[in-house]
Amino acid sequence: MINIRGLHKYFGENHILKGIDLDIAEREVVVIIGPSGSGKSTLLRCMNYLEEPSEGAISVDGIVLDGEANVNKVRENVGMVFQRFNLFPHMTVLANIMLAPMKVKHIAASDAKQTAIDLLTRVGLADKADAYPDQLSGGQQQRVAIARALAMHPKVMLFDEPTSALDPEMVGEVLDVMRKLAKSGMTMAIVTHEMGFAREVGDRLLFVDDGRIIEQGPPKEIFENPKEERTKLFLSKVL
Amino acid sequence: MEFNTGLVIDSFPLLLIGAGLTIEITAMSVGLGLIIGLFVGIARIGGNKILRLLANVYVDFFRGTPLLVQIFIVYFAVPVITGQRMDPFVAAVSACGINSGAYIAEIFRAGIESIEKGQMEAGRSLGLTWVQTMRYIIIPQAFKRVIPPLGNEFIALLKDSSLVSVIGFEELTRRGQLIIARTYGSLEIWLSVAVIYLAMTITISRFVAYLEKRYKIKEN
Repeated sequence: MINIRGLHKYFGENHILKGIDLDIAEREVVVIIGPSGSGKSTLLRCMNYLEEPSEGAISVDGIVLDGEANVNKVRENVGMVFQRFNLFPHMTVLANIMLAPMKVKHIAASDAKQTAIDLLTRVGLADKADAYPDQLSGGQQQRVAIARALAMHPKVMLFDEPTSALDPEMVGEVLDVMRKLAKSGMTMAIVTHEMGFAREVGDRLLFVDDGRIIEQGPPKEIFENPKEERTKLFLSKVL
Repeated sequence: MEFNTGLVIDSFPLLLIGAGLTIEITAMSVGLGLIIGLFVGIARIGGNKILRLLANVYVDFFRGTPLLVQIFIVYFAVPVITGQRMDPFVAAVSACGINSGAYIAEIFRAGIESIEKGQMEAGRSLGLTWVQTMRYIIIPQAFKRVIPPLGNEFIALLKDSSLVSVIGFEELTRRGQLIIARTYGSLEIWLSVAVIYLAMTITISRFVAYLEKRYKIKEN
C-alpha cells in the first residue's frame, strides 16, 4: 500500500531522515515508536507529502508522490489524524466532516451528511453533530477528527501521536476507536508513545532513532526480546 | 472674540454635502483597497516568488511614501504620461484606494498568518487544494481577527481623505476652506468641520465594535 525507498529529509543543515526503506501492506497496522526528535513524525508526514522528501521515492497505492498534481489525488486516499486535532473551529462538527467529501469529491450535501452522521455514530458522538469543536473535550475532538478523515473513505490512515495532547482519562476513548478501526481491516501507520496499545494492536513495530529504522518486527518480540542496544535502552526508559 | 452661531447654521447644509462626498470617496477607496489588499496580502504569503516580490514592492512603496505625494502623482504626474486630464474624483479614489490597499494587504497577511499552521495541514491532508483551504478554512477564520484593524484603517482613511482637498475635489475639508474664503469664519467653520468628521469616525468605530461582538458570539 505504501512503499518508501531511500527516503532522506533535511531541514536546513539538520539531517532528519537518513535513508528509510519501508513497505506497508494492505490491512497492516504499523506502529512507529522512538525518542522525540528521532524523525518518526517526519517519516509519517512524508507519507502524505506534508513534508516534501529531500531524496527518495514514495508511492501510495501505486501512485508515485512527486508533485502538486498527484499529491491531492493521493491525499484523498490517505487520512491523517494530528496530535492537536486541528478541527476547523468556525464550523460545526457536521460541517467539519462534510467539507472535504463535498469540495474534493463533489458528493451531494445530503449524502455527505448521511455519511457524516454514520461516522459520528461509529465514534460514539452522534449527539454532537451540531456542536462546535471548542464545546467538546479533547478526546471528543480527536474522535471527530478521526471521523473527518474517514469521511473521505481513505485506504490508509496516518496517526501522528493522536493521544499525546489528551488528558489521561481521555486516551482510552480515542484508542478504542482506533482499535475498532484496526479490526475492521484499515491500513494504519501510527506514531505513538502508548506502548500497551502498540503491543496490542500493531502487526509490526518500528523503532526509529536518529533518522533510521533501528529495529522492526512483531511488537511482542521487540518488547520482550529487543536485539539492538538502542532499542533496549529506549524500552528500559518507557516500559 | 465672538462665535457666530448663525454662520454655523447657514454653512451646515453645504458642509454636509461635502461630508457626503467624503463618505463616497472613503467607501469607494475602501472597496478598492479591500480587493487590492486581499490579493496582495495573499500574494505576500503565497508560493509564487514573482508575485510575492511584486506584492512586497507595492506595499513598501505605498506605505513608504506620503499619501499627499501619491495624490499629486496620480493627479498631476500621470496625466503627463497619458496626455489626458484626470478627473479629481477618479484621482482621489485611485490614490486613496491604492494607498489603503497596501495597508489592508498587511492586515490580511497578519490575519492569515495568525491562523494556526495545523489548519492548513488539516485542509491539505484531506485533499483540499491550497486555494480551497484558504477559501473555506483560513480566510473565514482570519476575517474575524482582521475586523478591528480593518476598522482602524477605515477611520484613518476617512480622515486622510481630507488630503484630496489639495486637488480641488470638494469634499468636507475643501468645502470648509471655500466657505472660510468667503466669510472669514475660521473658528466656526473649522470647528464644524471637525465635529462632522468626529461624528463620522465615531459611527464607524461603533459599527466595528458591533461587528466584532456579533462574530465573537457566532464563533461559539
